[in-house]
Amino acid sequence: MLAPAVGTTLLLFGGALAGAVEQSFTPPLGGGLETWTLESWRQVLGDPVFVDAFWFSLRTTLVATLVSAGLALLIATLMRTRSAAMRTAVAFPVPVPHLIVAVVAVLWLAPGGLADRVLGTLPLNLVRDQLGLGVVLVYVFKETPFLVLLLLAVMGRRLEEQEEMAAVHGIGRWGRLRWVIWPAVRAPLLIGSMIVAAFVFSAFEVPLAVGPNYPPSLGTYALEVTKSDAIGGAGQAAAALLLGAVASIAFALAILGLFKARREPDER
Amino acid sequence: MRGRDGTRSTLTTVVALVFALPFTVLVLQAFADSWTAPALLPQEFGLRGFRDGFAGGGAGAALVRSLQVALTVTVLSLVIAWPAARVIGERRLRHPGPVILLLAVPVLVSPFAIGTGLTGWFVRLGLTDSIEGLVLGHLVFSLPYAVLVLSTGFGPGLRHSEEMAASMGLGPFRRLLMVTFPEIRPTLAVAALLSFLVSWSQYGSSLAISGGSPTLPVVLLPFVGGDPEVAAALSLVFLAPAMVALAMANRAGHFR
Repeated sequence: MLAPAVGTTLLLFGGALAGAVEQSFTPPLGGGLETWTLESWRQVLGDPVFVDAFWFSLRTTLVATLVSAGLALLIATLMRTRSAAMRTAVAFPVPVPHLIVAVVAVLWLAPGGLADRVLGTLPLNLVRDQLGLGVVLVYVFKETPFLVLLLLAVMGRRLEEQEEMAAVHGIGRWGRLRWVIWPAVRAPLLIGSMIVAAFVFSAFEVPLAVGPNYPPSLGTYALEVTKSDAIGGAGQAAAALLLGAVASIAFALAILGLFKARREPDER
Repeated sequence: MRGRDGTRSTLTTVVALVFALPFTVLVLQAFADSWTAPALLPQEFGLRGFRDGFAGGGAGAALVRSLQVALTVTVLSLVIAWPAARVIGERRLRHPGPVILLLAVPVLVSPFAIGTGLTGWFVRLGLTDSIEGLVLGHLVFSLPYAVLVLSTGFGPGLRHSEEMAASMGLGPFRRLLMVTFPEIRPTLAVAALLSFLVSWSQYGSSLAISGGSPTLPVVLLPFVGGDPEVAAALSLVFLAPAMVALAMANRAGHFR
């Protein structure tokens, strides 16, 4: 049963990863296995800009993911009995590529943008601000509806029936939330949050459009080293992105561990 | 009770507007030939954005190519993902963590790295600048979404319903049509939507694999920042199939 998906993943992803690893070890002027070098890795790990980029990405990822997950729970609870039109409006940003959301954000939030024209002036600078608030805002705007869709998919008729049954048995509102709704939404919320976190951590369109000039995000850093060093940049970019991937995988393991830890007490 | 319902309705309307309304700026920008501050509306309307965007036929070809790839990737993702999603969703694995991680791990790695890594192989296989190469490249990213999302639709409840149907004499095909599909439909719709969108909006991998025969986002990006009218016009074209996919997913899925 697992073979088609696992086989496809191993073949395509494994091949791609092998290619990226090869690139990170290949010297700038090329060569075979015997010429492999750690130079790209040394340069990346010794670069203070990379360290700043890593922490900036981690910080914006954590804030954007937690805020999106919290808002998604609230909105999905509000929307579950609403009309199709209302749900479609909330889901509107889901099919919109991140690049377009970033463009819309700049058109609205940049100095002299539409928000400035409507309100006179914005109380906060949200485009190219040092803290990356604009980056977080764009991701929250883009990812919250995605999580809402995942939650609404499991908040169907079956869940309503279970809630009604629980109510008949005298379980109150908070009890139903704890024992009926939360177990149903936990898996899609955690899996969805994992996807969101991984995407935010490695994406570069949004930080390029609305992020600060310094520090860069991890993706922006990789793009910049490729542009600034035509010979050795590709290897450094591959090394930086592979380090980012390791961090993402560690983050996903932590979430899976949390999921397991939360599931086991319920199953006892 | 009526007051509480009214507040809830107002709140949901505000939330819906917050997510949908900001995109109107794209429509205005796409049809604006001139729009400078402090004006709240364009000073001059026109179709320059569309004319310049589609001049030369590159954007039209890219649009068709993107559609072909995204639709193929969606079908392949769902077919390949279904068995694995079922096993994971029904918690039939003793240790699901490593399997889920293996299937999800492409999502955790940047398309920039994956696209470049695949290109080396595709050059050897003659798949660069081809639809097949793009499909395989995008499949790396859409398959994990399909498996992860689809797995949330399977569970003991669905299995119980199927067992009940089997005990009532329904064969495997009728069980699939009459029990499994209606139950899994909302999740299936979301999985299909995501698979389509992941492929549709791929930029990094498309650029690496098929830079010579670009997809729509690759054609669009150079205009962002440089020419907002063309960028907005191509963005609207870029959004249209995605909106159709969303509407179809809504209709096929939860909103009944």
